[in-house]
Parts: sequence; structure tokens; C-alpha cells
Amino acid sequence: MAKAELKTEQKTEIEDSSSLKGTLASVFFLGLFIVITWVSVYMLFVERF
Amino acid sequence: MHMHKLEKIWLIVGVSCLVLFLTTIGVSAFYLGNKPPSCLTTVDPDKVDQQKPFDKPGLHKVEGKDWDYELVYVAQAFSYNPAQVKVPLGAKVKVIATTKDVIHGFEVAGTNINMMLEPGYVSEYTTTFNKAGEYLVVCNEYCGSGHHLMFSKIEVVKQ
Repeated sequence: MAKAELKTEQKTEIEDSSSLKGTLASVFFLGLFIVITWVSVYMLFVERF
Repeated sequence: MHMHKLEKIWLIVGVSCLVLFLTTIGVSAFYLGNKPPSCLTTVDPDKVDQQKPFDKPGLHKVEGKDWDYELVYVAQAFSYNPAQVKVPLGAKVKVIATTKDVIHGFEVAGTNINMMLEPGYVSEYTTTFNKAGEYLVVCNEYCGSGHHLMFSKIEVVKQ
């Protein structure tokens, strides 16, 4: 029985036209908020006796 | 696996932050020896007054230990014993506290001394009183109708 030919040479092109700059900015904005709040609470803990 | 370049950047930053935060906690616990205030020490809640060190509440000078003073507190509804205490500025003090009846809080407002006092358990916190002033000790666990009247005072004074 004949097998169907596997077309291995043909590659699916993934178009990467989407820009993630806005996502990067929002991720860093949130990240910075988390880091600043964490550090300020930690400094409060260290400063007090 | 295809991954966007910017995606890699935020993943690296995120993972680094996580590692940094966890390392800080790890160093604090395993190198600096910070631990929860209640640590396996027990006391018979019915015989608190007869047992050491709770038979003599207050500030005591101790020798040959990592700390200079021991500050012993006994809490009960709705007061602390002692009601007022003077601590010399710069003294390294181990605060040892327990409760005779129900769960009470032991918070020295504006400091890191903040413990839960559970009947049958001893709570401890070692610290250096390095800022002069008057500190209010308050109960921050609701313990009954007189909860809001429950307080004590610590005066950190120059000597």
C-alpha cells in the first residue's frame, strides 16, 4: 500500500510582525513597582529594632 | 523553542528578582538566625507564676549570654506584668513572654518586636534597644472585652 508522501522540506513560516515593546514596558513597570515596595518594606524592617 | 528577544529579557529579570528575594530570606534565616518568636519552648499555663523565669517578671541583668538583659513579661486579660519598665539605651535584650489565659498579642509599636502569645508557649525576641524614647506595648490579638485597655510601657533611657 502506498504511503502518502511526507512533505518534510516545507517549513511553516511564523510571522513575527508583532512588537512586544509595549508588553516589555508594562512588565517592567509592574516589576519596578514590586521591587520598590519590597525594598522599602525590607529597609523599614532593617532600620527598626 | 522560539522565544521573542524581549520575552527573554523580562524572564531573566523576573527570575533574578525571585532568586534575590529568596536568597535574602535564606540568609536571614540560616546565617543571621532569625526565626519565629515561638520556638518549641513550652510552659504550663496554669503554673506560670511559679515557673522560671516568669516568677519574676521585669528586666534582669544576665551574665555569660549573647544578650545583656532579659525582659520577662506575663500577659493576662487585660494587662501585662510589668506595666512599665526602663531599659538602658543600647542594651541587647531578650524579650521573653507568655500568657496565663487566652491568646494575646505583644507588639511594641514602631519596632520589629511583634509576637503572638499563646497559652502554654513561650515567645522570645532578641534585639538591641538603640533608639531612646517611650514605647507602647499593645495587645494586637482580640482577647476579650478589655482588649483595648491592655497595654504596657517600655522606656528606653540613657544611663
